[in-house]
Amino acid sequence: MSTSRVDVGDRLERHGATPARESTPSARAFVLEVSDLSVHYGVDANMVRAVHDVTLNVRRSTVLGVAGESGSGKSTLVYALTRLLRAPGVISGGQAILNVSSPDDPTQVTPVNLTTASERELRRVRWSHVSIVLQSALNALNPVRRIGREFDEVLRTHRRSLSRSDRRRRAAELLALVGLEPDRLDRFPHELSGGQRQRTMIALALALDPELVVMDEPTTALDVVTQREIITELAELRSRFGFAMIFITHDLSLLVELADEIVVMYAGSIVERANAGELYAAPRHPYTLGLLESFPPLHGERRELTGIAGSPPDLAAESVGCSFAPRCPFAMDRCRAESPPLAPLGDTGRSVACWLHTEHSVVPVPAPLARRWTVPSGPAAPGVSR
Amino acid sequence: MMTDVVAPVARLSARGLTRHFTTRVPGRILAAKRVTRAVEDVSLDLVAGRVTAVVGESGSGKSVLARMLARIVTPTSGELFLEGNAIALRARRTLDYAAQVQLVLQDPFASMNPVHPVRHSLERPLLIHGAHKAEVDELARSVLARVALDPPDRFLDRYPHELSGGQLQRVSIARALCVQPSVLLADEPISMLDVSVRLGILNLLKGLADHERLAILYITHDIASARYLADETIVMYAGQVVERSPGTVLIDEPAHPYTQLLIASVPDPSGAARVDRGAGESRPFVRAEEGCAFALRCPHATSRCRHECPPAFVIGEGHVSRCWLHADQAPASSDLATPGRQREGEATKT
Repeated sequence: MSTSRVDVGDRLERHGATPARESTPSARAFVLEVSDLSVHYGVDANMVRAVHDVTLNVRRSTVLGVAGESGSGKSTLVYALTRLLRAPGVISGGQAILNVSSPDDPTQVTPVNLTTASERELRRVRWSHVSIVLQSALNALNPVRRIGREFDEVLRTHRRSLSRSDRRRRAAELLALVGLEPDRLDRFPHELSGGQRQRTMIALALALDPELVVMDEPTTALDVVTQREIITELAELRSRFGFAMIFITHDLSLLVELADEIVVMYAGSIVERANAGELYAAPRHPYTLGLLESFPPLHGERRELTGIAGSPPDLAAESVGCSFAPRCPFAMDRCRAESPPLAPLGDTGRSVACWLHTEHSVVPVPAPLARRWTVPSGPAAPGVSR
Repeated sequence: MMTDVVAPVARLSARGLTRHFTTRVPGRILAAKRVTRAVEDVSLDLVAGRVTAVVGESGSGKSVLARMLARIVTPTSGELFLEGNAIALRARRTLDYAAQVQLVLQDPFASMNPVHPVRHSLERPLLIHGAHKAEVDELARSVLARVALDPPDRFLDRYPHELSGGQLQRVSIARALCVQPSVLLADEPISMLDVSVRLGILNLLKGLADHERLAILYITHDIASARYLADETIVMYAGQVVERSPGTVLIDEPAHPYTQLLIASVPDPSGAARVDRGAGESRPFVRAEEGCAFALRCPHATSRCRHECPPAFVIGEGHVSRCWLHADQAPASSDLATPGRQREGEATKT
């Protein structure tokens, strides 16, 4: 997967020779730039801070994985940045810029601020440039409509020039992409299996060839064999169409396989951001380490695992210091008093929000978090900072 | 657990458990009934101090199996033996059976009464099973301590919505333990829980088997968690046992093509070698009228597979696979011995 990123980088570099009027280098490299995004639910005393100062960038044609447990704010984050968030959810700060490239000239990039865009602007970018696949396909598809009508509606709304028969043909093409027969267009959602429904959702999301597809736990409700088939299909579709993807899941081992870069969220904040392989080989945040240790391995010695003590935090409660401190085996006094910022980890291109890893840390890094502590030699991983 | 010198005793044994559901074919009012073979001829022994893991996808019949063992669903045919005594399956479930065999369900939020505090859920089974009013409070506290909900006072008067999923699943297990059962049936106990609290529940179940000698049936779709717990592993597909082995032999050396597919499908960040995966769109609910149930998805299927249902073949010490690929091996005479003789047989095996 990392090779695809290099390829894209090269292509961009070459195109970079003739910079377009509005395109900055970062706008060409990143399809989505989110900075300091915060989301609250409710107001005043009942306010819950679901997402807190999240900054992340999605490189073109790469997969950003967002890992976190329920309540970590990962779904709220994508609802906010696709502006699907409903009251009482409120975007209370920050912005999300979608860099829309023109279909004729990929170097021509127009930034659209998703957090302030009008309904009219949103209508223009949604589905054509950014689309979303939701967790429960059964709830996302209208139960009293045939599958074909869902496709028809999208195409009719966004591609007005298409005739009825063209739309039908395009819908059949899209289903074929995900390995479904065209006769499925005349079926109702309840007539399809869970895997087929989720495939239909993916085909719908790809209907207008978007640059960014957001996947909110698309395989969580599926069996492991079906999950594997869908993940394989997604990889093929991505290499064919080159869309970038934000993939949200609680299954960190799935992300390590699938994503180029991973952000780990806990209690509404990003606690660690790293290249997928490095995150797996050398987690730096105690929560990431705990998550990785929570999956019993399929190979090797059978040994006792401990997981993470305690339970996920209550976001409504006022908290001081690091939100993971109550469950953290390495917590110090400082952790309970002061919340650590998400800071770059040396020049590794990765970031972590943990006092154990500050530049002037006087605390020795605990052994489990010191695995491969020295920065590997060779070309540094393409990080977020340029 | 495996080093235990005490001869294992099968607390609950099932022989040839089968359940068919009959449904009308839509649109045809008369005749034409369709039979769904949810569970077909499953035999197993739940042994004190051991965890038996049943692995399968949704629709494989694993939950129907658990419900038959708990006697919530009546088997179409087959036998159940509790402590070696045959159970009259047509009769009503007795209180005594319920006291011996308890079921823990998947969704702790849906399986607790939301309008009553935890205390109610724990004391009710105690009172039904004849505990004295004076002692129920003490018993409820002790059972909460057994599932590591400390201090009990913090939990007894809380309502289900005030607890997290992991805590609630512990309460659910505590409720099952109230009546001092010897068999605990856990139907997907961790699949609804947050990743970080799943191991806690698995370790709790392991502790109950190791230290309190409970016989545990652990039903899951997550083969890695089965590997973590199991003393015996059973893989089900379309209602049938397709492979079984002591310990986790079948996970380390899968013989049946379905088990191989299942293992190859698990996300594995360590990138260990993958087995060849079956091809094509999955048809989990399609089952051939004749022949092997897995033949439609199996990369090795031959015409024999499509016409003849394979029997179980013995491919190793206690390792059995229902696949024609192993036709050169001796067929397993019957799945397991009948419980009368079986105790001695089990003892010599271990």
